[in-house]
Amino acid sequence: MAKIDLDNMLEKIKNTQWSLSDVDWDAPGAELITPEQWPKLKAFMADLMWIEHVGARAFAAMAKKAPDDTLRQIYTYFHAEEQRHANAEMALMKRWGMLEDGELPEPNNNLRLVIEWLDRFADDQPVYVLGTVVPMLEIALDGALCKFLLDTVDDPVCHQAFELINGDEARHLGVGFTVMEMQGHGKTYIELIRMTAQLMDPRLILGIASYFPLLNKMRDNIVEMGLPEEKLYEAMRKFEKIGGRTGDGRRNPWFQIIKHHGRFVVDRKKRFYHAPIDALVKVADVIPRKAFPAVPSWVKEITYHPTA
Amino acid sequence: MKNNQPLAQQQPPADALIIGAGFAGLGTAIRLQQQGIRNITILERSDDVGGTWRDNQYPGAACDIPSNLYSFSFAQNPNWSRSFSGSREILEYIHHLVNHFNLRQYIRFHQNVSNLAWDQDKGLWQATTTNGHVFSGRTAVMAQGPLSNPGWPGIAGLDEFKGKKIHSAAWDHDYDLKGKRIAVIGTGASAIQIVPELAKCAGKLTVFQRTPPWIMPRPDFTTPDWNKTLFRKAPVSQTAVRKALYLAHESMALAVIWNSPLTRFAERLGRWHLRKQVPDRWLRRQLTPDYRLGCKRILVSNDYYPALQKPNTKLITWPIDRISQHGIRTVEGIEHQFDCIVFATGFEVSNAGTPFPITGIGGRSLNEEWKRGAQAYKSINVSGYPNLFFTFGPNSGPGHNSALVYMESQMDYIVRSIRTIKSLKLKALDVRQSAQDDHNRSIQSRLAKTNWNSGCQSWYLTEDGFNATMYPGFATQYAKQMADLELKDYRLLAEEAASETF
Repeated sequence: MAKIDLDNMLEKIKNTQWSLSDVDWDAPGAELITPEQWPKLKAFMADLMWIEHVGARAFAAMAKKAPDDTLRQIYTYFHAEEQRHANAEMALMKRWGMLEDGELPEPNNNLRLVIEWLDRFADDQPVYVLGTVVPMLEIALDGALCKFLLDTVDDPVCHQAFELINGDEARHLGVGFTVMEMQGHGKTYIELIRMTAQLMDPRLILGIASYFPLLNKMRDNIVEMGLPEEKLYEAMRKFEKIGGRTGDGRRNPWFQIIKHHGRFVVDRKKRFYHAPIDALVKVADVIPRKAFPAVPSWVKEITYHPTA
Repeated sequence: MKNNQPLAQQQPPADALIIGAGFAGLGTAIRLQQQGIRNITILERSDDVGGTWRDNQYPGAACDIPSNLYSFSFAQNPNWSRSFSGSREILEYIHHLVNHFNLRQYIRFHQNVSNLAWDQDKGLWQATTTNGHVFSGRTAVMAQGPLSNPGWPGIAGLDEFKGKKIHSAAWDHDYDLKGKRIAVIGTGASAIQIVPELAKCAGKLTVFQRTPPWIMPRPDFTTPDWNKTLFRKAPVSQTAVRKALYLAHESMALAVIWNSPLTRFAERLGRWHLRKQVPDRWLRRQLTPDYRLGCKRILVSNDYYPALQKPNTKLITWPIDRISQHGIRTVEGIEHQFDCIVFATGFEVSNAGTPFPITGIGGRSLNEEWKRGAQAYKSINVSGYPNLFFTFGPNSGPGHNSALVYMESQMDYIVRSIRTIKSLKLKALDVRQSAQDDHNRSIQSRLAKTNWNSGCQSWYLTEDGFNATMYPGFATQYAKQMADLELKDYRLLAEEAASETF
């Protein structure tokens, strides 16, 4: 993956837009979902949709902190595009009879924690923290999940929608890795000092406390769905491979942290990591719904209706 | 073949050929008349006077500057009904000026200038209008207004929309908005006035925002009767109020033009206003500007934020992808469908060109010279274009005070120049290129330190980021700049001299 000219990328983004109306959500094929698939697929799609939606919120935070106008515009588009993916995935759920009229799927508790964290703290994070975490989430979760979905589901409308979604995601990853390399240009020492200071920030620690269990929770969900967890790990290793392809990328301290964390995630033998994080997942599962504050209003912006 | 074009009709030359019958054109005529110069022709493209205030009659249209300051100092109106008057009342004031100063005799309506050229031999400006008439003048005054032509956004599919399209600067009052699904594109000065009015009658109102503006509280109130009586009986009291308003606005320059602790204070005031009116955190985030206050035009409103939170109103901040047959497609993949789209997208700004071709000495084209950003001497003259005066020319825009205060300085400068041309029997008064260059070097170096040039995109700047619009200083400094006609900065050509000696 060659380094990207961000100005050209912005033009490309503007010229390759699509909307939900471009897909015929009533076309034949919905019947190809088997009764066995249906309940698992419903839970899977709800998680996937929420990941897209929190990804959207992360891009919104990055747009606020972007170092230049081009990147600010790109992140503004990515924010909307992730929302579009969530909308399209909801439209698939609606097509498959998984949503009542006006229904919004419930996010799992780990996602609920991430939503809460993003709403309260994401805008205060330096762009490069989210700028490294988001590509990891996209390559690992989005990548693995989407691939699995297309391997499992025969509905042609699902394939059509994900062809469009994956086109967007390829650009998101391209920009994500380019930005990570841009940060590698900074003097490593200064970046390390700055990063250490940022790590001490309790808001970031809270973020880590919601991000780590989210990955393990998703792993569990994937296993539940029958996807070999190795496929998720393969996707996560891609992050290490692409992110570390250049000296600039490797010099980005955030890349190093996320990379090493990724190595822990993909190795179940690392009990010292997995035991406490799995415990956190279990703790999150038992948090009563009432304990969460009202969802922020941006959560209610998603819709499966192609027109409004 | 029969030629359907009317033959050019030559009118006798005027001492002052004024283009535009808005505030600037009419004000210049009043000042000239007061100095005994009555051979005036005012060319007006429409069938009425008023310029901006004739065209901008959209629901809620009003001025952002208190009326006691947004009026001529030499023609104060004691009867303003509100502290910030609406567009209709301002237009009535303009009509009053026309009647009171008997200006209608000078105005040629339906004369839309399409070309302005300097005739060096005759020492005359020749204005050709779209209906084939030619008007000439020893001097010409560009008073066509800096914001007089509606600006349409460069959004794909603009012509595909099958519903009603309305521009804020050309409102269609015959179109019934009641119960309609309405979109407003833009969140600038016009939009924040239109939205509260449309929210009262629309079935569904959707506001599309690209960049949130800084919005300050608007100290708007109905003028009590005793106040009007006082102003009528003791005009000096109104002059005192005007002076106080002037000084209050002058002090705002410290927050608006330059980055100072007062800028931080004003930003805090704006955020407080937002917090007070918008309880929802996400909506507040969408409405919070992420650029320095002053970089774009600062707006004032008490009812815009509340209107956005009405049940029938929604703010959309997703980027617009395109306009379709039925509505607006945004990047989150949804087509928002409407009966009517209101374009509150501002005006075509002539900061990199002229509104129509202007030809100077030796056939030089001002449009060509201004391609990379307009430049002038003291905002009013351009070298190579003798006897031509600009109102709201390059770098004359105020960011913090009444435009009419600046305009009065320009009008007086023009009157002084025309009197000089007449009394010295000059054929041409042409500013020296060196004086113009010196002026612009100084202006641009001062502009570099202002909030306008602090990195945001605005209509103040050309596409290349050149600020050809704003004046980087207090109104008092501008008035001082315009106070003297320094003849050493000009080349003077006597009436009897042959043109080649110039």
